[in-house]
Amino acid sequence: MIYFYRIISKICPAAGSADGKGVKNMSEEVKSTINGIRRLVLIVDDEHINRRVLGKIIEKDYDVIYAENGKDAMEQIRKREKTLSMILLDLIMPEMDGYEVLALLHDDPNLSRIPVIVLTSERTAEVKSLQLGAADFIPKPYDMPEVILARVRRSIELAEDNSIINATENDTLTGLYTKDFFFQHGRRYDQYYPDNPMDAAVLNVNRFHLVNELHGRLFGDTIISAIAGQINRVLDETDGIACRSDADTFYIYMAHRDNYEPVLNRIMSELNSIAGHTRLSVRMGVYMNVDKAADIETRFDRAAVACNSLRGNYTTGCSVYDDKMHQKELYSEKLIGDMDTGVEEKQFKVYYQPKYDIRGVDPLLCSAEALIRWQHPDYGLVGPGAFVPLFEENGLVKKLDHYVWREAAAQIKAWKEKFGVTMPVSVNVSRVDISDPGFEKEITDIVEEFGIDPSEYLLEITESAYTDNSEEIIETVNRLREKGFRVEMDDFGSGYSSLNMLASLPIDALKLDMAFIRKIGQNDKDLRMVQLMIDIAEFMQIPVVAEGVETKEQYDLLKKAGCDIIQGYYFSKPVPPEEFEKFIEDRINHTL
Amino acid sequence: MITIENLRAYGANVDEGVKRCLDDEEFYLDLVKSTVADDRLSELEQCLAAKDFDKAFEVAHALKGMYGNISITPVYEPISRITELLRDRKDVDYSELLAEAKEQKQKLDEMDAARE
Repeated sequence: MIYFYRIISKICPAAGSADGKGVKNMSEEVKSTINGIRRLVLIVDDEHINRRVLGKIIEKDYDVIYAENGKDAMEQIRKREKTLSMILLDLIMPEMDGYEVLALLHDDPNLSRIPVIVLTSERTAEVKSLQLGAADFIPKPYDMPEVILARVRRSIELAEDNSIINATENDTLTGLYTKDFFFQHGRRYDQYYPDNPMDAAVLNVNRFHLVNELHGRLFGDTIISAIAGQINRVLDETDGIACRSDADTFYIYMAHRDNYEPVLNRIMSELNSIAGHTRLSVRMGVYMNVDKAADIETRFDRAAVACNSLRGNYTTGCSVYDDKMHQKELYSEKLIGDMDTGVEEKQFKVYYQPKYDIRGVDPLLCSAEALIRWQHPDYGLVGPGAFVPLFEENGLVKKLDHYVWREAAAQIKAWKEKFGVTMPVSVNVSRVDISDPGFEKEITDIVEEFGIDPSEYLLEITESAYTDNSEEIIETVNRLREKGFRVEMDDFGSGYSSLNMLASLPIDALKLDMAFIRKIGQNDKDLRMVQLMIDIAEFMQIPVVAEGVETKEQYDLLKKAGCDIIQGYYFSKPVPPEEFEKFIEDRINHTL
Repeated sequence: MITIENLRAYGANVDEGVKRCLDDEEFYLDLVKSTVADDRLSELEQCLAAKDFDKAFEVAHALKGMYGNISITPVYEPISRITELLRDRKDVDYSELLAEAKEQKQKLDEMDAARE
């Protein structure tokens, strides 16, 4: 591992061998490396003879691509900005001349690192182009091939050394690279050794913020340095580089190995020896035998996916990025990419799940909850669990919510016209929606547009939204209720409402968190919790809704406990509006 | 026929040209042959007649680079002088230099057309 060795020794002398032998070998090896590696050179000249002659010379040592004018050149450069090592540039060309290319390169921080040698026969042009940032010039007619090759090689070497010196050095605490620097060298390594199998690993300290809080920053720093030290020891023995990506996250790019246990053991035994009785653990995610076609950032994203899969475990462990994670990642990416088309083509369907009032002798249909499904062209019917969290992450969820709100309002109107009765429908309002200043107006506009009464339109707001920013939300909810909307608190019992706050909350119903309902048949504790929540609702003089009710047993227990409204598979799964109509018809017949 | 010997007799700096092509004679001859079809000398003549010195400079500059790189000295020399005059947009009589360039280009074309 010639290249890495060179960098590590330069940046972190401790990583090199102490006797200086390594350093001597290093410089000899670097020289041959410079000759041995085929870098990419772009030749820009409008004259085909010139391109061919120069290409013939350059191709001896480099991979060559060509452009016929400045415009064409800029396209090629942008496409290969990360891999291009050198540009040989003619000055007088049609479309866009060489001066303009030089100026564009000079002004773009991503491109200005690429050295340019100007091809010219004019003395004055040489001065001007050197001022514009050219590294050197080659006179026309061309010098002898050896001279040209020597100038090209020299300029590349200078530029590469420069970029190493100019990059944001190394992390002061650990002596490892910073992230940008690390990626840059990782990419260059791949250029040199495209066929070496490599692993990308992400290492994290579990609950590091607590370590810092409990034991102080200095102790935290000691831990981080110790981990870096052990990573360096590992890299002494194998090819690779490492960086500290942020506070307690390390990235390691190293030659493939099948087993990371020894690496973890090494780190843990060091940590145990310095941390005393403080229990520390680390988690590691490895993307093995990386796909070199994916860019290096993506490779570490994948390792991070594997690493995050261990989040919440507080023991040391290693997770390998596998096909399952990859498929999930691809699936998520595809869903995000398909969302806009999905909305346009009405692939998102609103389904309705009935809610039954069980206070009387027979359960009576009283309302419905609007729930989103995605009729995806490739994956079939996709439930909200698969896509809502993704869209919450990137903010698209608002778009989706708005779509459901309109559909639900249109449906209320349609049923009213068809059956002459009102079937209230509840829609979900997320935390993001409610903090949007336009939210109130939007909801009011929708109700007006479809000519329905606000009392027919129920808003479900999750409990945790109240606790996040209670004052603001309470004000909004108050105003909505004044306009006649009914508001249900969703997922009650999953958040952290204080009894004090509950008493003053402006709500029209409590909807119990499904997790309690699932367990009520299994133990007394959860049943007693449900009983308690029902008592709270009774105290607030509002009805209780239980969702996720699946079995007769659950139904009986809830009825006995005094629950008012039931929703769940026990009655029906969420169904398309056409199917829902039979519940409305039953209800009408029952009343008759 | 364009051969190393004929080019040498014609006055081209063949050694330099071939060396620039990493001693690949065939590649070099191929390059020289590919310039026979080049008609930009006429274009240069028209530009000069119209006193469009900007365009004329562009064409002359391109031709200079081309003939220089394949070391066709007999054409390169007059073209090179035209280029330097045009660089300052000099409104002088170019006819003699142009005639010289055309005559030398004509010889090259004839060499290509000749059977041996």
